[in-house]
This record gives sequence, C-alpha cells and structure tokens, in this order.
Amino acid sequence: MAADAAAQLYQAFVDQDPAEAIQVVERMRASGVAQDALFDVLYAPAMGLLGGSWASGAIDEITFTQAAVVAEQVGSFVMPPAATRDTGVTIVLGTIHRDQHSIGRTIVAATLKEAGYRVNDLGIDVRPADFVERVGETGARIVIVFAETMRAARSVASIRDMFVAEGVTGVVLLVSGGPFAADGGLAREVGANGVVTGAEPAIRIVSRVARDLAGGGAED
Amino acid sequence: MAGRSKTIIAAEALARQGQVGAAVHACYDALALGDQGAHVHALLASMMLEGDFYDEAIAEATSAIEADPDCSPAYLALGMAYDRRGGMWDQSVLVWHELAEVVPDLVTAHVQLGEAFAAAAYSEEAVESWRRALELDPREARATYNLAIASLKREGMALALPLFRQAGELDPSQDELFFALLGLTDAPIITVDPARVKPTREARLGAAGLALKADDLFSAAELVRAVLDEQPDDSEALALAAYAYLKQEAANEAMACALRAVSLKPDLAIALYCLGVVYARRTGLKRHAARVFIALAKKAPAHALVHVLLAESLLALQRYEQAGKAYRTAVRLDPACVRARFGLAATYLTEGRHAEASWEIRRAAYYDTKRQRLFWRLYDEYTAGGEES
Amino acid sequence: MTKPVDPKVTGPIRNALFPVGVDLYPLDDEHASFDDWYARDLTPDLTAMAAANFSLVRVFVSWKLFEPQVGQYNDDAEDRLGEVLAAIRGYDLKAIVTFFADDRFAEMNDVTWARKRDPRTDDYLIQREVSLIQRVVNRYRTDPAIWAWELGNEAFFTGFESEESLQKWTGALREAVREVDTARAIMLGVDTETLVRETGVDATEAIDGFEYAVSHVTAPYLSYIAEGPLTYGPATYLDSFLLRCGLRTLPVIADGIGVHSLEGSVAEEAAYVRTVLFSALMNRGSGVMLRRWRDMDAEKREPYFRDPYEVLVGLTDTGGESKPVLDEVRRFTRVAAHIDLRHHLPVPERAAVLIPAERHEPLPSLAGLYTPRSCLQSYIAAKEAHLPVTLVREGAPLDDTMVLFIPSVGKLTPSMWIRLAAFVQSGGSVVLSYGGGDTDPAIREIFGVEFLGDHGVRPVVSCRVAQPGLLGDLVAFDARFELPHYALVGGGSATVVATDATGSPLLTLNQYGQGRAVFIAAPLERAIAQSDPWAAPEPIRHFLRTVYGAVACAVGAGPVIDCDDPAVEIALFQAEDSDVVLVISHDMAPRTATLAADRVVASVTDVRGGPAAKVGAKSFGVPLGPNGAAAIRLAYGG
Repeated sequence: MAADAAAQLYQAFVDQDPAEAIQVVERMRASGVAQDALFDVLYAPAMGLLGGSWASGAIDEITFTQAAVVAEQVGSFVMPPAATRDTGVTIVLGTIHRDQHSIGRTIVAATLKEAGYRVNDLGIDVRPADFVERVGETGARIVIVFAETMRAARSVASIRDMFVAEGVTGVVLLVSGGPFAADGGLAREVGANGVVTGAEPAIRIVSRVARDLAGGGAED
Repeated sequence: MAGRSKTIIAAEALARQGQVGAAVHACYDALALGDQGAHVHALLASMMLEGDFYDEAIAEATSAIEADPDCSPAYLALGMAYDRRGGMWDQSVLVWHELAEVVPDLVTAHVQLGEAFAAAAYSEEAVESWRRALELDPREARATYNLAIASLKREGMALALPLFRQAGELDPSQDELFFALLGLTDAPIITVDPARVKPTREARLGAAGLALKADDLFSAAELVRAVLDEQPDDSEALALAAYAYLKQEAANEAMACALRAVSLKPDLAIALYCLGVVYARRTGLKRHAARVFIALAKKAPAHALVHVLLAESLLALQRYEQAGKAYRTAVRLDPACVRARFGLAATYLTEGRHAEASWEIRRAAYYDTKRQRLFWRLYDEYTAGGEES
Repeated sequence: MTKPVDPKVTGPIRNALFPVGVDLYPLDDEHASFDDWYARDLTPDLTAMAAANFSLVRVFVSWKLFEPQVGQYNDDAEDRLGEVLAAIRGYDLKAIVTFFADDRFAEMNDVTWARKRDPRTDDYLIQREVSLIQRVVNRYRTDPAIWAWELGNEAFFTGFESEESLQKWTGALREAVREVDTARAIMLGVDTETLVRETGVDATEAIDGFEYAVSHVTAPYLSYIAEGPLTYGPATYLDSFLLRCGLRTLPVIADGIGVHSLEGSVAEEAAYVRTVLFSALMNRGSGVMLRRWRDMDAEKREPYFRDPYEVLVGLTDTGGESKPVLDEVRRFTRVAAHIDLRHHLPVPERAAVLIPAERHEPLPSLAGLYTPRSCLQSYIAAKEAHLPVTLVREGAPLDDTMVLFIPSVGKLTPSMWIRLAAFVQSGGSVVLSYGGGDTDPAIREIFGVEFLGDHGVRPVVSCRVAQPGLLGDLVAFDARFELPHYALVGGGSATVVATDATGSPLLTLNQYGQGRAVFIAAPLERAIAQSDPWAAPEPIRHFLRTVYGAVACAVGAGPVIDCDDPAVEIALFQAEDSDVVLVISHDMAPRTATLAADRVVASVTDVRGGPAAKVGAKSFGVPLGPNGAAAIRLAYGG
C-alpha cells in the first residue's frame, strides 16, 4: 500500500496537483501511519521516484522543477513534528540568592523547555522564599537550584528547610553548579536529591524524576 | 615608507616565506645597524606571534607603538598577542578599540574587540562589536559564530543553532568537503568545455566535478545529463546533480536526486552529503539529518567537517554529549576548523565547562586570524604610505 | 591554644618528609592598609589548617612595617610576628618566614626612607636588610615553630637584572642568617626555570647555596608553555615538569600550587590541585605549598585586570568558608601520611629528557623559546609511556641515565656530542629528533645516517612501518599536521624502521658500540608544542610514546608497573615488604586503568586502610574518576 501511495504522490507532483498530493497524504494518515513516519514511508520514496524519472528523461527539466514546487507545498504535511510534545511536568528553577551567574541556568532552562517541560525560570539572585512561593503557585514538584559560589551553594539548604517548615512535601530538589560538581557530598548536605551536571543530563534526570513522581515515588 | 634598509627588506622576504628564525635574525641585524623604525619592531612582533611567543610579541609591538603611535600593524600584533596569551582582556579591549578607530574597515578588529569584551563579561558591548563586523562584512563567519554562542548563553540552543548553521553556510570549508569527498581537493579551478570532454562516463563525471568546482553549473549539468542519458541509474551522476541543485538553492530537486542516488548506492559519500545538507536545513528533519550524517561519518571518517555536520545534527536533537564527541573528533582531525571549535565551545557551555569553552573560542580565533594574514595587509599599507588615519 | 584532636581520625595524619603547607598572606582585603599586616584574628584559619593536617604555614615579614625609619624598629610589629608564630606553634604547625616578598598589596618592601633605591642592588639598603634579618632571626632562632627562613619570592626576584647581582644579594643575606642561625634551613623563593624565562637571569648557582629549592608555576610561564585547560593535556604535567627541572642536588618543594586564572569553576580548581599535589609526591617533591589560604577580598575591577604576580584565589573564600579544593588537600595529606618515605623509595629514573644548553641563548636565537616547550612535550611522551623519567641539563652527569631523549634540538655543544658518543658506546640509548638546520657530523657516526638536507615545511605527517615490532607496536598513519622541518637522510648503517609515504626515512635505529641510537627525522615534539598541544593528532602522540617506551624497555629502563592508558601516570614506591603505587589520571573522562606488574600481585589495599582486595594475578584494574587519583599498597605473592 505504501508503495502505491508513494507512486500516487509522485504522480500528483508530476501532474502539478497539490490538492491530490494532499489527499494522498491524508489517506495514508487515515490508514494509521503516524505523522513522524509519513516522511519515510511516503514522501521520501515519492521524491526518489521523481529523481529517477528526471534522470531517465521521463520528465523534462521544467516538469521536474514544477513538480519540486508541489513537493515543497506538500512538505509540511509530512514533516515529523518539530516541537516536542508537552510532558505536562512543571519545573521551577533559578539561581540562588546572592549569586549572579546565569549562563548554566539559561541553557538548562532552554533545553528543558525544548524537551517539552513547563519551565518557570525565576532568574538570578532568587530568595529561597520565592522558590517556595512559586512551587505553591504552580504545583511544581521539581525544583532546580543553581549556584556557582561556595557560599551560595551552602545557602541552598535553606530552601529545603523552608519546604519542611511550610509542610511542603513531595518536592524533588535538584542542584547544579561548580561547587556541587566538585563535592558530591555538598548536594546531600544541603538536602538536595540530585545534581544536574549539564543540559543533557538535566533532561535525563528530570525525565527519571518525573517518571518516579508519576509512579508515586516522591522523595523528601 | 621611504628608505627601508636592505636588511629589513630581506627580513620581510624571509618572514613572508615563513622562515621565522632567519627573519628574526635579520631584524636584529637591522636594529644593530641603526634601523630602529616602528616597522622593524612591528615585524619582529609578528614573527614572535608566529612562534606563539606572546610576551616577546607584546614587548616588540609596544616598542613599535612607542616609536610610532599610528603603527597599525603593531596594534594588530599587540592585540593578537594579548588575545592569544589570555588573561589580558582589559588591554586587549583598548588595543582593538584603538585599531578599529585607526582602520575602521578592518573587520577582524571588531570581531576581536567583541571577543575581548565577551571575555571581560561585557556581553552587550561584545554583541554590538560583532554586529558592526557583520555590517562591514556579512560573510564574516566568526562574528556569526560568536553571536551564536552569545545567543546560546542568553536563550539556549534552539535559537543558537540557526546561527551556527548560518555561519556554517558562509564557511567555504563546507564546499571544500564535497570536493574532498569527490577526490578533487587539490584539483585546480579550470574552465571546462563539455564539447571537448571525452565521451566516457569517467571523463564526463570528472569534468563535471571540475566544472562544479569552478562554479560552472551549466557545464556541469550538461555533462551530468550526458551520463544519465546513457545510464539513468548512475548514482554518482545523480549525486553531482544533487549538489548542483543545492548550489542553486533548489532544495527539493536536490533532495529528489540525492534520494534516488542513495536508493541506488546507500553508502555513496557525495550523495549522503547532499542529502544530509538538505535534511539539515529543515527543522523537522533533524533526526533524518543525524542518520544520514552518521552514515557519512562511517563512510568518510577522515574528514573533519563530516563530524562537524554530524555534531550539528546531534545538537538539534539535544544530544549534546554525543555532539561534543563528534566535535572533538573534528578538532583532532583539523585543529584549525573554526566551526568545530565554536561547536565544541557550545557543547562545553551546556556542561558548565566555561573555561574550556573560552579556550575553544580562543583557539578558533587563533587559527582564523592566522589564516587571514592580516598583518601583511596592514604592514604593506603602513610601509607604502605611512599611517592609516 | 592547642589544636583540637579529632577522635575519628586514626593513623598518621602528616608526612614529615612531605610537608603540606600554605601561604598565609598578611592582608586579605585589598582596601586594607600595609599596617593591617596580620592584624586580624588568625585562630579560625589556623584551626582549619590544623584540621586539614597542614604542616607548614608561610608568613611574610613586612620590612616597611618593621623598620619604619632607618634603624628604628617597630616593637609592635615584632610582637605581632611573635604572636603569629606562637599561634602557629600552638597548632602544631611550623612556619616558613619569608623576608622581602612582594605580594602587590601589603607594600612589604616599600620602605619610605629608601627613596626609590633598589633593595636588590643598593649596598646601603642591603646593609639594612642584613640588619633586619639578623634582628628577626636572632629573636626567633630557638623557636621550634620556625621550619625555614626564606629570602624573597618570585615577584621580588624578577627585579634582578644579572646573575652577579643576584648572587651578591643572596650571598650577603644568607651569610646574615647563618651568622645567627647555623642550623635552620634557608630557601630562596624562586624557580630557576621560570625566572630565566621571565628575566634571562639564571638563579641556579645562587640557589645551590641554600638548603631547599622550589618549583613554581607562574602565570606568565603557564601562559608561555601550556596555555589551555587545566584539567587535561599539557597543563596537568607542567608542575611536575618544573619540579623535575629544579631537581639537582637539593630537595625541591612544589610551591605556589593553585589556579592562576579566575575563569574556571571550583570543580576545575579542585581537580587541578588534586593533580598537582599527587604529581609532586610522585615526582620526588619534598613537600608542597599551596598558593594562598584565604581569597583576597579584591575590588571589582572594570574592566577586569589582574597582575600576573597577584595571588587572589585561596583555599577558603573571603569569609573563611572552605572550598572543595581544601577537601582535596585534606584527602591528599591523609594519603601522603600513609606512605613511609623513609622506607618506600621511588623507582630510580633511568630515562631522562635532555634540556640543551641552547635553551639559554638570548634572542635573536629562537632556541630559548622553542626548547622548553619541546622538552615539555618530550616529558609528556615519556610519561605517557609510563617511564620513570627525569630532566637533565646538557653538561650534567649522565651516570644514572640509561636512556636519553633529545627533543627537536637545533644544536648541541661539541663536548656534548663527545659525551653522547661515549654514553651510547658504553650501553646507553638515545632518541634524538631533528630540530632543523645543519646537523653535526657526529650524527653520521652515532646515528648511522647521512644527512642530505632539510626538506622544510610539510603539511602532513605520514608514517609507513618498514620493520614492524622493532621499536614497539608502530602503526601506519597519515595525519594532517604541520612540520617545520624534515630531515632527508640516506645511506648509512642505520636500520630504517619507518618512513614517510614516499619512502624517506622517518625513524632509524643504529647499533653504536653497546648502545642504540634512534633518529627521528622530524621535530615532532616541537611541532606538537608549536601547533595545538591539546589537539595533537593521536597517531603522532602514539608514535612518540611507542618509540620512547620501546627504547627504554629494551635497556631495562621501562616501567616496573605498566599501564594500558597513556593518560594515566604511575609512580611506584618500593620497599622490602610491600610496594605502593600512586596513580593519577591526566584527563577528565572517568576510566579504569589496568596496571600490570612483572610479578603476581596477591592483593591491593588503599594506603589509608581498609580491606584488601584479592587480585591473584599480575594485572588489576584501578577505577579513576575525572582527574582521579589513587594510592594503592601492593602485596605480592602467588
């Protein structure tokens, strides 16, 4: 069926019939082919046929160019989804009070956003109370605190203390920054549940935490 | 500059040939003979810079500037010595600022000024400097790479990546990769007359490659068509056609030819290259681009840019660690690959390795400025007519 | 007040033969005045130092404060010094008391009445310096808190313009100390290699008159020879390289350990310091001094500016809170304390990198600029081959050496060629790489090759192996890498082991007398140094370390404990009953290094204690984290 559909799509290109081309795509979708498979299953083979026809002289240069225009029009129908699906998981993050470093935080925040997480970025120099307040507002259960100086890193402990004092449970506190990378014990000392060592590890660790939380295994 | 001594002229000749030791000796001879002009010290500074002896370069450039405060080549040498040495960003800012005033059309001065500002944590001034560089020369790749890094720091990878791609497209090394895959790296650029090409497949394809290298797309198309008329399933001919379409910004035609070529010969490097480049230009096809470049990297692992293209496709997939590995491979294959260095810097930033990121950017500047040979342009202007004003 | 005893810590906590110390500067705030010299309460700092098992504290005497007017001494200042020393003694620490240091903040040498005269050369000022020294030394000569007297620091010594003036000054002040204190050690706080690079003044003769030498990576030297990341690559070998440079007849203290730039994170700082501390112990250091105890509370400078001789970064922050790097030091002191250096002796180094005399040639000769870099790369190659290796200057005795590496040398002195011939004939081995220009006729005799000329610059290094297995496991390669020179050689008695892609010899081996002479036709070490040492093509690095390793092993100068990972450095300390092996990784990636001994290892134990892990084989794995270090006691047996 896929081969037939590809041939139909090819013909639609050559006939300069974008409407027909779109119908071919929709028929494939209706038959159960997932969006992110359409390109491989339908579009690429059709384009290969187009290239072959041009090469063999079955179509001339003008027809080839016009067919390519139709292919461009239809391209968006078969592209895999560009944006990642929303995970539904909210994260609050920020750089702790008295620390102005922002680059690591910005990159991790942007990475998590692109990965489909709902990121509340509180910026730099964020007081512990502000973290707690935003968690309360959003219902977030994952907090990532950034600190690049030793003093700031140690002060992260007050966030966990405030969660405890306010009776907020089930929040996973992650930390990130040079002091935590240098001293694995420091994260434990400040009451963190884990250390984020970079943007890609952030995706992994948050994904794991989100799964655990969804499965009911919250950590204090 | 009238009346340059024979000794210094000999020193210049030696320096242009890259004979650093002999040029230094000749400069010292000139100094001993009483030729204490700024140009002598500037030349010495440049030789010390060639050898990466930065403190010596700084001393000589400073002497040149003391002898003549308008000696632009000395400022250039001084600024580059400060930058390459590292840790002297405040002095570097002053020097590049000065040079940008003295030689306002010197694009590199603005790029370097931006990098010095960035190292001193003046990000807005840095971005302004790079934008000024691009106003002077929209094809200045390193300014765009720097803007990409700045974008990464402010906004994340999704917004930085298009800038990396944009800079990459300005980078001539990408075309060089295609011709390297074709085996035409050292081939001269010549005019091809399709009528005079032997009517064999090999001759036609070879001539088509040379025509593409000379940017003669019509001749190339004619020769490729001749091959395809005899054998429509010739994957190499299809790949050459794909490249020609790419150069004409006809991405869909290129994709059609490349897909056909790959279906006939899945491991044909030039076809994989064309297909990968087409895919990389479409945000939705990042996974496809990565697959193609993985295959290309397996087929042609000795080319640095292949790993760079793979790395960029991995960045798009947020696979930063693997991208870093690919960039590191590229740097090992070609330490002068500016695009790889900036890409590696970007991956280091995602891991919080800021010092190493700065290092890679500095190395990129090192190789880029070495390649440009700006010193001779300024030196020749200075010695021919006096100072630039 | 005495230091508190931690009941949890058992076993030795310090090593008397490898003291660990730190510089305690008189001012920790840039806004402070010169007379705030050690004015604050040092109790918290000394408590923390004692808790971290430091042995030494360096303190600095302020001439300006001590002698505010000519011949008039400030009793308060002297009392304050006494209090500082008493406090140090109370914590069971010892002091290095340094005179005439320049820290860029406390104006210690800026006596107002000196009227801009140079304290290094002005005879009258030298007399006053002698008086000051004798006054202080006399007062504290019986104080057990004093470990050593020290004259000057690197920043001060860069002001000397000739060897004569340096020797005159050091001689006078040394005499001054000795007149009063005949027993205690005296040191000069300067590294010969970094000083000669900075000023051209060779302090070797001056230093040899003292009891300790120091090695000291300075910011300018680092920038010259190994500018790049601190957690992998050449920068991680530099401290031990300088230590080895300084090792002649005196014990050497690795001084000034710490980061110079503020670009790195605290994690990078900790990793770097860990590498340096272990390197010092593994390379015959006699102690270490960290650069600074507490961060300098410096003004925000706009734009950012740093004097190369400023020391701003400490082990604790401005508030006295410890940084991860202090934990590294603490861990290290425990490791060092568990190695009895009276009985565990390092394996003798039978391989040496030659530092040619041309290193001292002034401009316009570039040899003085190329040579140290080439020697560093040669040293690194030997380390990657896991050879116990040291450095030897041209002209020094070669009695203890069995393999000599002569990297990318332009020329050797005629006498050196004669000595080299004798060395090889009597059984020594040499690896010499061509450095450009004409060669000495002795090349033909010793290396068995006819020099036909310098091909000049080559953009690609190619290797084709003509004789596999003859000099290790060489492999063919083509690497895009610029070589400044390539010697065309032909004829001769040497065996061609490898060639370039066109058959021109790249590597030859000649039997000469009882020894072997290996010739490399290109200055690979210099090329690596001058290109991009952090991105040198791996095939070239593999080539160098394979050749070095093969030559050394053939004469019995190879590693006693071998390793499969070139990024891992090993040092073996041997004793009658057990051996200790120290292992550090010069790379950030975690790894497991496989160590191979020539005997069966029954078990291995962490030197700090703990259960033994059974091995029962000749090889075992050592897991290492990023820039990881390990200290393992080996028990042999079947």
